[in-house]
Amino acid sequence: MFKGLFNVIVKEVKELVRDPTLLLGMIIVPLIIFPLMGFAVQTSMKAAEESMENISIAVMNLDKGTVAENLTNFLTTLGVTIVKIDDLNFTEAVNYVQQSNLTGLIVIPLNFTNNITGGLKAELDVYSVFRGGGIAESTSSSTISTLLKSFEESLVFQKIFEEIPEEDPQTVLNPIDMSEKSIVKGKSVNIHPSVLFGLMMSQSMGMPIGIMMLLIFAMQLAATSVASEKEEKTLETLLTLPINRLTILAGKLTGSIIVAVVGAIAYIVGFTYYMGSFMGIMPAETGVDLAAIGLAPTPISYLLLGASLFVSLISALALAISISVFAEDVKGAQALVGPLSMLLIFPMIFMMFTDIYALPFPLMIVLLAIPFTHPMLASKVAFTGDYLTAVIGIVYVSIFTIAVLYIAARLFGTEKILTAKLKFKGLRRRKRKPAE
Amino acid sequence: MLEASGVLELSLAIEATDVVKVFGSIHALDGLSFTVKHGEIFGLIGPNGAGKTTALRIISTLLKPTSGSVKVLGRDVVDEASEIRRLISYLPEEAGAYKNLSGYEYLEFMAKFTIEDKEMIRETVEVAAKISGLEERLKDKVKTYSKGMKRRLLVARALMTKPKLALLDEPTSGLDVLHSVHVRGIIKQYVEKEGVTVLLSSHNMLEVEHLCGKVALINKGKIVAEGSPAELEKKVNASNLEEVFAKVVGFV
Repeated sequence: MFKGLFNVIVKEVKELVRDPTLLLGMIIVPLIIFPLMGFAVQTSMKAAEESMENISIAVMNLDKGTVAENLTNFLTTLGVTIVKIDDLNFTEAVNYVQQSNLTGLIVIPLNFTNNITGGLKAELDVYSVFRGGGIAESTSSSTISTLLKSFEESLVFQKIFEEIPEEDPQTVLNPIDMSEKSIVKGKSVNIHPSVLFGLMMSQSMGMPIGIMMLLIFAMQLAATSVASEKEEKTLETLLTLPINRLTILAGKLTGSIIVAVVGAIAYIVGFTYYMGSFMGIMPAETGVDLAAIGLAPTPISYLLLGASLFVSLISALALAISISVFAEDVKGAQALVGPLSMLLIFPMIFMMFTDIYALPFPLMIVLLAIPFTHPMLASKVAFTGDYLTAVIGIVYVSIFTIAVLYIAARLFGTEKILTAKLKFKGLRRRKRKPAE
Repeated sequence: MLEASGVLELSLAIEATDVVKVFGSIHALDGLSFTVKHGEIFGLIGPNGAGKTTALRIISTLLKPTSGSVKVLGRDVVDEASEIRRLISYLPEEAGAYKNLSGYEYLEFMAKFTIEDKEMIRETVEVAAKISGLEERLKDKVKTYSKGMKRRLLVARALMTKPKLALLDEPTSGLDVLHSVHVRGIIKQYVEKEGVTVLLSSHNMLEVEHLCGKVALINKGKIVAEGSPAELEKKVNASNLEEVFAKVVGFV
């Protein structure tokens, strides 16, 4: 029945891979654009770090007391450049800070020292210059407040030391030493829950994005492979060849899968590089062994995820092929298939941020009815070991796939694959007639 | 494709009886009947929209007739479509080739569906290379070909496997005079030497007169005149096929 399948697959792959627009969009762009984006992020991060190191602040000291003096000395010891502008009035000071490219302005009001030494709350006005936003500016601004916080802490430590000299100020301030741990699958694990959540988050965000990209690629490819047969007028000849129509369909499905997988790998490589560029500002490797605490995917969960992905891929392709049969050319097919990607983006967004079973019931039903939700769900349950959910999803998507494949095979098996185009032609001819 | 059975030789190459094809409210074919004998070059001529392409599409198993019957090499186009596809070769009027394949790759891809032996495939592609006259250009991708070069590639594809029946819709469309003459020569040669039967449609009356032993004039989905070019000219008192065409279709 599938005689000639290999011949069709080879032709499909050659046609798709040699198409310059596809090659550019699917392989070259992710491999060049993502690393470029990563480079841009890295460069701006570096610039932000550098600007953090070179913080210069104008200080308007109206107090002139010892604590005020201590404050400016404290900042200077931490590497901050202090510009004293005591002889300017406030308006002049603001103008000066804006024009002389300083990070901010600290106004130490009168009685600052008196209030602190007298046990009263003292005020301090801190201004950060807004020059158009950006990471560098916001980090500089938060650095100023962090520095001031540590000055405040040093004041508290001093106070405690003066009042209760026999006790450690650190113990007075933090009398409880909290040790946060997690319980995973009925076992206590010596890992902070936020570390675990962070790890799971990166897993559950990455997989749905990858799955979505793979499916969208595959759908576009399948639609293109059918529509280009029409556009290039090769379909009629192909359909009169001694080859089963189902073989043509299977060849197109397989060819699209092969190229989509290559495209998805390129995308994942590019995306990983891009994500890697953020690592500089993220906490270093946590060193958590997920396998040891039972949160790593088991071989069974990999198998289930693979099966779920496979049936979803076939259904996406069959759906794209069935729809593109009605298009006259590649552009038309892509326009028809485009809205289908909503069926992928919609579940992906929910999957990234929430547990599907925590959603309102009608919304949960809508999401579960979308077949492409299931591989994303399978990627999540893989870590939790809830195999039943994955199996039910595979069964559901398989039924959906068979139904769509049946429709695709019907469309390919009958003359509809040609007459869809013929109808358009007929309509056009009829429309033109009155003008003739 | 080459195995000739006694049954095939005895029966007609094409036997269309009372064929009707309806698209919505349009009657593309309205009781079309004609027969084509083995080893003959049969010309289907008629004005635009007369139903020539629809007839060729039904004979090539692309479309199913709404009513009536069509037998190709003794087989029914509806019930034995896959059998028919093994024996025929169809060249559509507006055909294209896979633009990202080279000419050689295209011919090889097509040959593999009918021939299994690797050596035979190679020989068949060489035959096609000669028919097309594209020589070294066959190594280039199809997208670099001119319209005429593409047509020559497609004609070569249609004839290279020596089908029992070749359905050629405007075989020389887009070709210059020299290449048209070359293609006509090849068609004649394949009929005389390889036993191929040809059903062709054309707007070029000179071509039809030169090639076809028998001609059917189709108008509004029906055959309105049939016979050899000489018989038709005599019948309507015309000096050439062009005049026959004009007189029968009703412009003169």
